[in-house]
Parts: sequence; structure tokens; C-alpha cells
Amino acid sequence: MSIAGDLIRGHTDAIILARLLRGDSYGYEINKVISTLSSGRFELKEATLYTAFKRLEEIGCITSYWGNSGVGARRRYYAITQTGRQTCQKLLEEWQETKEIMDKLLEVEEWK
Amino acid sequence: MRDKLIQYVQLLFAGAPDSEEMKQEILQNTLDRYDDLIAEGRSPETAYRMAIKGIGDVNDILSGTPQGRPCPESPVKTKDDRDTPAKKALRAIAIALYILCPIPLFLLSEMGMEVIGLCGLLVMVAVATAMMMIGAKKEDQDTDDTWDSRPAGPKEELQKSINTVIWVAGFAAYLLISFRTHAWYITWLIFPLIGAVQGLIRAILDLKEENNHET
Repeated sequence: MSIAGDLIRGHTDAIILARLLRGDSYGYEINKVISTLSSGRFELKEATLYTAFKRLEEIGCITSYWGNSGVGARRRYYAITQTGRQTCQKLLEEWQETKEIMDKLLEVEEWK
Repeated sequence: MRDKLIQYVQLLFAGAPDSEEMKQEILQNTLDRYDDLIAEGRSPETAYRMAIKGIGDVNDILSGTPQGRPCPESPVKTKDDRDTPAKKALRAIAIALYILCPIPLFLLSEMGMEVIGLCGLLVMVAVATAMMMIGAKKEDQDTDDTWDSRPAGPKEELQKSINTVIWVAGFAAYLLISFRTHAWYITWLIFPLIGAVQGLIRAILDLKEENNHET
């Protein structure tokens, strides 16, 4: 888990952008989706998530706004920008390439 | 338990400036997580523990620049705090000289050579002060921007150094004369004299400064 966790954490930006491509969202919701999709095997810390949001906002990939959560509390929502879409596309291509290379590098003959 | 969690998060950000929005966001996410865990049927204690664990290390975001803008004070501070090894050594030796400077006076006055002893003391003070000044000068060269903020720096340093020399010399003279003559009732007059001499030197320095500006 720890090695896989580090590997996944290295792609935090891509994960966040890919989630936001499906619509505006907020920290906990994104984390919950990550947890669900990974069958509870992976989750980001609030601090990590927050840092990533700030970084992405700074470079213009996402924007944020305060919205109401219905139960009275205020939530900060994030939305992807045009730059963010392009960045996401680029990161996705990079990941496909990485995956391809890794698959080749780790390819082994059938265990016999 | 929920209140305890709110308190915990508020404590995490207590004392951190400009962290209100950050706190609100992380608090809301943490409360969402807590409520979810409770809804899943966890005990409040477990949910509390897991929610806190989910926050991670906030020191990274607090020590960094939370809003992404650089902190204006930090670079200046680090520049001021920066001490080169040479400067540290100079200062250490100077302080040692200051502490040890009465030794020649004590030793030589035992042998009846107070004047030579006093000279030794003064030489040591002069060397120590020179070392302090060289150290201060280096600092000015290192940090160019201090020149802009206080252009009177070197002059003030010089004045401070001269004041120290006068003060130490005067005090030494006071002790020496008093012990030799036992005229304690009158020797205290040296102290107002020291003040007068310091004032005079300051006036001379100021005058010199003005002349420099004129030429």
C-alpha cells in the first residue's frame, strides 16, 4: 500500500483535474470518490488535498467559490478552467505513456 | 465528540495568521468525514480518531505561504540573522578580549606598574572594539539593503565603539585613581567627565559628517 500510495500521490493533480472534469466539487466529495473508486485502499489527507487545490488554483487550472452545503455550513467548491482542461489532457497522455512504458519494463515471461 | 473535533481543528490553526479560509475549508471537510463515519455506524470515538487522522500534517500548508503570496518579512529576517563563521569568530574573540581585559591591570598593578597595566587593558579594549567594527562592516557589505534602510549605520557603529572605549577607559581610570589615592569622595567626578567627553566626541563626529556632505 505504501509504495502504491506514493505512486498515486505523485498524480494528485491529474486525479483532481480528472474529477473536476465531471463537474464542480469540494474537498471531501473528491476524497470520497477517490476512496470509493479505490475500494477504500487509497485516500488523500486533507492537508495534501488542500495544498494541491491551492497549487492548481495558483497556476490557473482551477477556480474556487464559496457555496452552501444545505445544512448551513459554507463549502469551498472548485471548478476546472480551460487551462485546467488542457493540463488534464496533457497529464492523461503522459500517464498513458508512463503506463505503456511501465508495462513493457515490468513484463515477464509466463511463470512456469 | 463533534464539538471536540471542531475545537481540535480550531486549535490546529490557532495563532496562524491569514488562515481563516483554510481553517473553514478543512474543518468542513473534516466534519463531513466525521458525519459520514457516524452514518456508517462507527462509534463517535472511532470517527473522531479517523477524522483527525484524515487531516494529515497541516504544518506544511501553514509554514508555506497559505495564500500563495510571499511573506514580505521572512527574507529580510533571514538576511539579518545570517552570521558568517568569520563574523562569529570575530565577535567571540572580541567578547573574550572584553572579559579578559582587566587581567593585565590586576597583574601589573600587583607589581606596581599600574600605568602599563592600564595601557594593556586599553589596547585589549581597542582591539576588541576594532574586531566588533570589522564584523559590523562585513554585515553592511553582506546586506546591501540595510544601507538603504539606515544609511547612518556605520557612523552609529563608530560612535558606539568610541563610547565603549571612553566608558571602559574612564571606569578603569576611576578604579585606578581611587585605589591609588583613596580619594573616593572626589573621584566620582570622572563619571560626569566621561559623559562630557562622549558628548564632545559625538559633536565632533557630527561636525565631520556635515563637512563631508558639503565637500
